[in-house]
Amino acid sequence: MKLELKNISKNFHGVKALQNVDFQLQENSIHALLGENGAGKSTLVKILCGVYQPDSGIINLNNKQQSIPDPSASLSLGISAIHQESVMFDELSVTENVFIGNHITKSNGLVDWGLMQDKTNQLLKDLEANIEPNEKIKDLSIAQRHIVQISRSLIHDADIVIMDEPTASLSQKEINELYTIIRNLKKQNKSIIFISHKLDEVIEVCDEFTVLRDGELIKSDSIQNTNKDQLITYMAGREVNQIFPKNNVTIENEIFEVRNLFKKTQFKDINFNLRKKEILGFYGLVGSGRTEIMKSIFGITKLDEGEILFKDQKILIRKPSDAIDQGIVYLSEERQQLGMTGLMSVKDNINMAVMDRNSNFYVMNTLKEIKNSAAMQEKLNIKVSYWSQLTQSLSGGNQQKTVIAKWLSTKPEVLILDEPTKGIDVRSKSAVHEFMGELVEEGMSIMMISSELPEILGMCDRVVVMYKGLIKDILNVKEASSEQIVKLASGES
Amino acid sequence: MKKILLNRDFILFSIILIILIAVGFANPLFVTPKSISDVLTDTSILIILALSQMIVILIRAIDLSVASNLALSGMLISLLSTVHPELPVYYFIALSCVIGTILGVLNGISIAILKVPFIVTTLGTLSIYRGLIYFVSDGKQVYSNEFSEDFLALIHVKFLSLSFLFWLAVLVFIVIYILLNHTRFGRNLYSLGGNPDAAKYIGINENKYIIMAYSLSGFFAGLCGYLWVARYSVASTQIAIGFELTVISACVVGGISVMGGVGTVLGCVLGALLIGLIRNALPAVDISQFWQLAISGAIILLAIIINTKTEQRKEKTIMVEN
Repeated sequence: MKLELKNISKNFHGVKALQNVDFQLQENSIHALLGENGAGKSTLVKILCGVYQPDSGIINLNNKQQSIPDPSASLSLGISAIHQESVMFDELSVTENVFIGNHITKSNGLVDWGLMQDKTNQLLKDLEANIEPNEKIKDLSIAQRHIVQISRSLIHDADIVIMDEPTASLSQKEINELYTIIRNLKKQNKSIIFISHKLDEVIEVCDEFTVLRDGELIKSDSIQNTNKDQLITYMAGREVNQIFPKNNVTIENEIFEVRNLFKKTQFKDINFNLRKKEILGFYGLVGSGRTEIMKSIFGITKLDEGEILFKDQKILIRKPSDAIDQGIVYLSEERQQLGMTGLMSVKDNINMAVMDRNSNFYVMNTLKEIKNSAAMQEKLNIKVSYWSQLTQSLSGGNQQKTVIAKWLSTKPEVLILDEPTKGIDVRSKSAVHEFMGELVEEGMSIMMISSELPEILGMCDRVVVMYKGLIKDILNVKEASSEQIVKLASGES
Repeated sequence: MKKILLNRDFILFSIILIILIAVGFANPLFVTPKSISDVLTDTSILIILALSQMIVILIRAIDLSVASNLALSGMLISLLSTVHPELPVYYFIALSCVIGTILGVLNGISIAILKVPFIVTTLGTLSIYRGLIYFVSDGKQVYSNEFSEDFLALIHVKFLSLSFLFWLAVLVFIVIYILLNHTRFGRNLYSLGGNPDAAKYIGINENKYIIMAYSLSGFFAGLCGYLWVARYSVASTQIAIGFELTVISACVVGGISVMGGVGTVLGCVLGALLIGLIRNALPAVDISQFWQLAISGAIILLAIIINTKTEQRKEKTIMVEN
């Protein structure tokens, strides 16, 4: 046994993130750690990395009890984590990122750049990666960044490598290359903890799995003894078809259309239409241009060419308020940065976009504001503890709903949602989905960017598949297979 | 080649050269070796302080207390020298550095341990350190005739017809260059400023680095305390007042990002040189006293705009151009 966690529990302000979780990692094995967002995977990883301390439970490494008081202890025990992009140093070179916190020094105490350069070169060559050691991280693709992170863990001589969603935004070709690297790591006697939402790849690559749900251990077994449907049931705790409550509505006439949208270096030849009461999905890899198109439609960035039609009329959108006046709103992906002001109350956030409607000659009508906010809170079931609670102290799900309420206050006809359920717990997620269904029933049309294929397949009527700034195809969801969509999105067909 | 042309340090260097040539046309006397050597001497303290400020800015902080620290350290050793004129000058320099370092450590402790935001801490110590000068000096000045000869002599030593101040700035440049580029400490400052969360994951102790950075800033402020007093032969409550802003502008002009983790040592020096050049050149080209401050501000702003705009040209590309 390489690593064994016994009875690990961790609470955050009364919320049980992990409850008596056991986890066993065999030597020489690739172990999938599965669960929905908020299931406790990242808490577990952070405990292994020494970022969090468990409230109770023990950690055995190589059959010896260990404590991991801080990240450097974790590194020196041979545990290395490959997180998503956030742990790279964009402005520093590849070499430096590989050796970060572990610079080789000469006998005189100075950093030995030459030696580090050579070692990095050798490592990258061994991994068959075409990366220049001198390049800055900010100039690399996401796949290349992962390889740099893998090189980093090799330099640290880690024998447990944790990979947190390493394939989330890679193309199929890059994913296959990564698999080769992972299998090579296994051959070199490393144990790997592999976190991924893509169950097909989990089944293909991993030897064992552990499923967490709501902070509890649900199942741990060998991959051979399970299948995809079973894994989904373990993760969701219910049958799959219940997850996306898309109501059946009759789709009406076309309401919105774009023709030949073009923005230099970002996207071109963008043509699609949206019909009343329709949910149109936008699927593609992170960075395929979906958000950029929506930002241009909403007037945040300028289009180079192309026209936008709304109810058969050509409209000109120069700035977001033009779009809002027309009844088109955009709910951004980074809700905390762009969608809400954390230091303002829920009421003020909800009314932020409709100040002109709630005021008389530039003086705010507080009564109107309270009425609107109360109605929205009721409708969306936003839970606040007290009247003037600041938005930043709400849970992720309630924050998301506050942003939605803000935009619904403008009474839009076309709603653009950019990754509306990213990073929120399962229950809030399904509430958002249910609500989208209601809005469509009431006559709204929705465009939804999502990187989660099940969400696209469950919620949308049609899906626009994008790859590197181009629309590869627009498919009817009922007739499309997930394989087909994934292939299109990775530019293979 | 294109890479060199778009390099910030190179652009900055070109701007300095262009200003120098332009001023040379307006007033040929300004570009004589003697006059340029005077500009360099005059800018040396700014260079030293900008370099030490850079260390702090690299980790996403700012030290607003440097000028007050400089003035307080300078006053304390001046007062001592009036009482003990017999002590050797090296003693005063070392003492000034020690006082400066202690004042810097206090900043660091307040920020790292007491968690008072850096802007609040150093804004506070800016006033406290300045206020202490009144306390220790009773508001009086120490005049040139009160210093010992030894105390003032060192600053006038010349080597290869360039001043002691200039050579000291060169030495500090080399030391900080090596520190930031060739030691673990320096590289960790870059990572800490570039991505503090990630730096924690690789086991960099943030508090230790904050305290170290502020003590270095304090050390050099202390050193400059001696330099300033000796150069102008006067210590008073008013010396170097507002100079922290000049120091920070030098860093910003030099391309040290206030967002942390970005900037070169050479750029920092060039930034200080540009500001020193403008301050010295404007009087030389017959511009009215009343306009000088506004014009120098405008030139600095313009230099920053040119410098950053050239860099930004590299845009994110999504589409494959066919």
